[in-house]
Amino acid sequence: MNDKINNKIRRWRFERDEMTQEELATRAGVTRQTIIAIEAGKYAPSLMLAYRIATALGVSLDEVFQYFPEETG
Amino acid sequence: MKPEKTTKNRRVGVIITILSLCAMVIIFEFCKINRNVTLFIATEIIALIIFLVSFALTFIKTGLWQFTHKSLKKLDEREIALTSKSLRIAYAIFTVVILFLLLSLAIFNAAIDVVLVAALILLAHILPASVIAWTENEE
Repeated sequence: MNDKINNKIRRWRFERDEMTQEELATRAGVTRQTIIAIEAGKYAPSLMLAYRIATALGVSLDEVFQYFPEETG
Repeated sequence: MKPEKTTKNRRVGVIITILSLCAMVIIFEFCKINRNVTLFIATEIIALIIFLVSFALTFIKTGLWQFTHKSLKKLDEREIALTSKSLRIAYAIFTVVILFLLLSLAIFNAAIDVVLVAALILLAHILPASVIAWTENEE
């Protein structure tokens, strides 16, 4: 599958007074490496973690993550 | 340090660790056949030192050993996925190694000794962390 999930974590961290990856990781209950991987698009988080990240950033889920389904035909 | 360099260093570390482990088994078998205790002690100590140093630098210092031996409750979802993937690959590699060894032992009609078993147990524990060290840029 070539479905893509883009994210705006970097932008929202910037909007939140340059929140560090470490701080976001602590708030979302994961490691900094996981935030780095998600931010870089190397790892697609579960729905639960996506909500935790959005909550930690104080925005709704669709403001952080955008889903681009595989184009068919 | 650049991620590519870190990955390269880790891969070199994995190769040295596994080769030194193999060397310890080969030296033991060789000295057992030739009944040479002095050569055994000298070379085995060198191989052991190389193994311990490379193991410490590649697996302990980087936290990889701890990573693959942590309780699942202490890992987040990405780490669990990474550990699961590494265990699956390590299991396949270990199976091939064991089958190759058993076949070799059967062909040469050799017996399995304690050093070989100990090395295989160590290898089984090192392999998952080695897979992560080989494939991941950071951890």
